[in-house]
Parts: sequence; C-alpha cells; structure tokens
Amino acid sequence: MSSPDLSSLELGCEDAAYEGTGFHQVHRAEPGQIVAIAQKFLEAGYRLEMLTAEDRRTDLEVMRVVYSFNRIDHPDRHLVIIDLEPKIPGAHAPSIMGIYPAADWYEREVFDMYGIHFDDHPDLRRILLPEDADFHALLKDFGRIEDAPAEGEASA
Amino acid sequence: MSTQHHPPICLEKAHDDETYYLNMGPQHPSMHGVLRLLLKMRGELILDCDPIIGYAHRAHEKMAENRPWIQFFPNTSRIDYLSGMIYNLGYCEAVERMASIEVPERAQVIRVIVSELNRIQSHLLWFGTFLLDIGGITPFLYCFDDRERILAILDRVTGSRLTYSYGRFGGVSRDIDDVFIEQTRGFIKRMGEQAPMYRKLVHDNIIFLKRCDGVGVITKEIADAYGVTGPNLRAIGVEYDVRKAEPYSGYEKYDFEIPTRTTGDCLARFEVRVAEMEQSCRIIEQALDRLPDGPIKPAKLIKKLKPPAGEYYFAVESARGHFGMYFVSDGGDVPSRIKLRTPSFSALSAMPDVLEGTMVADTIAILGSIDIVLPEIDR
Repeated sequence: MSSPDLSSLELGCEDAAYEGTGFHQVHRAEPGQIVAIAQKFLEAGYRLEMLTAEDRRTDLEVMRVVYSFNRIDHPDRHLVIIDLEPKIPGAHAPSIMGIYPAADWYEREVFDMYGIHFDDHPDLRRILLPEDADFHALLKDFGRIEDAPAEGEASA
Repeated sequence: MSTQHHPPICLEKAHDDETYYLNMGPQHPSMHGVLRLLLKMRGELILDCDPIIGYAHRAHEKMAENRPWIQFFPNTSRIDYLSGMIYNLGYCEAVERMASIEVPERAQVIRVIVSELNRIQSHLLWFGTFLLDIGGITPFLYCFDDRERILAILDRVTGSRLTYSYGRFGGVSRDIDDVFIEQTRGFIKRMGEQAPMYRKLVHDNIIFLKRCDGVGVITKEIADAYGVTGPNLRAIGVEYDVRKAEPYSGYEKYDFEIPTRTTGDCLARFEVRVAEMEQSCRIIEQALDRLPDGPIKPAKLIKKLKPPAGEYYFAVESARGHFGMYFVSDGGDVPSRIKLRTPSFSALSAMPDVLEGTMVADTIAILGSIDIVLPEIDR
C-alpha cells in the first residue's frame, strides 16, 4: 500500500491538487529514466493506466510523452512526463512494453498518431490509421480535418 | 503462461503443413462491429491471434483539438454508443472539476438515475447479443423488449434514443417530471419480476453452461498486465469500481454492492453483469427516493469556458469499465489535447493472451463475453 520509492532517480516531483486535477503526484523525468521508473511502479503494485503523447512543439518546443500509473485497491495516480526532441521523425523514447504489456497498444497508437519511435518495441506498426498512411494525424501541423479536400473535389 | 508480450505472428514456431491463418472479420456477424482477428491455427486450435482494429476510427481526439470544450460534448455520446449517457455526463463532470463548476444536488441525482438506466440498457443489449452469438435466439427478443422500455423513458426526457447529449456544464439540459419517475419505478418493478424468468430461460440451460463454464479465463496476471477493468475484472474477484474508488456525482451516498465472482471465465462475466443490473436498480430506487427539488443547472449558463492551464485526469465507470479522460488545457477555450482511455481497448489488447490455446468455436463466446464496443476502441 505504499508509493514507489523514486528518490534514487532524482526526479522533478511535485504534489498535485487531486481534487482539481485528478493526479496525486506529477513527476518530470528524462526519457532514459522511464524504464527504471516503470519498473519501480510495477514492483510497488501499480498499473499502467494510460500512456499518450502531446505535440508541444509550438509552445514548449518539445514532443511530450505522458504515463499515468494508478493502483486499483486505493486511488494514487501518478503522472510521469518525459520531454523528447521536437523532431518528427526523430523523437524517440524507450519502450516500457517489457514491463507493462499494456504499453504495447498504447505505444503503437502514439507512433501511429505522432510518429514518435519507441526503441525496443518489437512490433511498432500502425494501429488505428491505414497501414499505408504517410501522415501522423494528431500532430498539430497536420491541419484541421475540415481543411482536407472532400472526396472528388480537386485539391487546390 | 507468461503475460510477457509475444509477437502477433509467431513465425518462429514450427511451421508445419497443418498451420494456417484465418481472418475472422471485419464483416463477421459475431464480431460486434468491425473487428478483424487474424488467427493462426492448427486444426481448430488457436496458436496465436492478432486483433486488427481501426476500421471505425473517426478521429474524435483530433476533432477535440479544433473546437471549443463545449462543442466536443456531442462527440462523447458517439464514442461508446451504448454508454452514451455515461460518457456525456462523465465529460461534463471532468470539465466541471477542471473549471470548478458547481452542480446542483437535483442535477446530480438525475445524472445518477439516467446513468444507471443507461448501464442496464447496455447490459441488456449485451445479454441478448451474447446469447445470440452462442446460439440462443429467444433471450434476445425478451431483452430487446425490456431495453426498448428504457430507451422510451430516456427518449422522453432527452429527445434521443442513443446519442443523448443530455448533460450541460453544471447540470442537465431538461428536468424530469412525475411521468418519468412513474415510468422508471414501473421499469424497476418489471425488472424484478423478469429476473426469475431470465434465470429459468438462460442460466439453467445446459447448452449455455457448456459454452461458458470454464471458457476464456482471464487471469489476474493478464488483467493487471493489460489494464483490464469493469465487469471483466470483477469476474476475477477484484473489487474495483470507479464509482466506489473515486466517487463522482454523489455515488458515495448510495448503498450498493460491487458484484464479484472468482473464476474469471465467460460464466463469471455473465453473472457479474446480471448482478450489476440488480445493483443499478437498487441505486435508481434510492435516487428516486431522495430526489430533491431545486434547479437543474446554473442560473447563468457557461458560454465561454477557459479552464486554467494544466493536465487533468478524470474517470467514470462506464458499462464496460474504467473510462478515463486526460485533458491538457493551455488556458484557452479550445482543448490542447484530449486523450480518451477506453475500457474495451484494454480488454481487447489482452485477447491474444486469452485466446491462445483455445478452440475457434470458443472465440465467439469469449469475445462476446468481454463486451467490447468497437467504435469505443477505434475512437
């Protein structure tokens, strides 16, 4: 019933206001640390609740991957944030699939939607978009859906 | 069996002449929407399975990023069309928590009533289609008769049978009246009377038991590794329900139990959902008894919403499990990012581990019993 001991990793850690944000704690880490962090959470009995990315290239000049760990016996939600270089393709992070199998599909979805590469993921292929798509739809510079020419309409 | 991932197509295994691939779906009548399973088989034995999804991808998360918070609201009932009400109200709750909006007591109680009606409706549809999948046509007709009554009740108050858009930031759009209360009480009474009939029709049926008992066991290890939640998790004996763990809409004030079973097979999942419908009826009865008078939405409706910048997470218990919403606000009136963590996505991602070593005929029973909704997986 205890939180994982992350002190040895020297993370930027802050308490979040659970009532307002839904997170008990927020950690900021280097991409290289995420495997060690995930291992600590697994040992402490946490589940990987969610894994996703954010395109923050315009405001913070980073590509960001976020992990949410939580317990199912009593809620204790931790958000772990890692910032990657703002280049697509180019941004890459270690895969935590070997620790949490749930990360398999989440990482595939992040790769599909953002083009972030997860090192050591054995099967990193698209999951929602068509196999032959040449774009990553959730990047901010992909544009708006409404802007795409309708089918049959000549693209200007 | 280890819960470590194995690549979807295990080519390294012996590739003898009797091994072949079978595409089940995306147009298979028992695939509950458009799911394709690529099965590697020897005879009728499944050696490996690769679920291929995305056929119903409608870019909900992309749509969220180019319209104000309030305009994303109608999308939420279209993500999981069977839990439309729960998703609608869950999105409202999340935005309210983020922007510190008060919800009147009467609106909260109404939210609980309509959410639980929605849950029963979803379970009834699952009940009918699951039995249809494994060869029982009759229960389907009874279930849809009962389900139609809920849809009529909700249609009367929301104006819609499936995509309700009933919530408002700070309340609900329309008030309920005495006819609604009378109809709902009538329905609860009817459900109580129907239960023995359902039991006789289904649960004592030897064919049903043979198809479900001991089939498709999800172990605790698999559930933890893949993040399986909802009735699928409770069928293993884990008492996890967001309504109890992180109460919202005043669920902490209601007296209800979390039904659990221990075996984790199709039969356990069936029993958990049937027991959940009874608990939902209990909650609705309590809510109707305590329904206070008062306003149902703030006196001044929120027109321009600009939540403070930051990261937020909020979860509700949908009919399928833990539905989480991760919001990133940059302080403007348009979301910077909305991630929808849907329960069926996690349940389906565990399927390669569950289906390995089962027979192809059981695939239908197993996939039916985990109650997936494909549009919710593909978003």
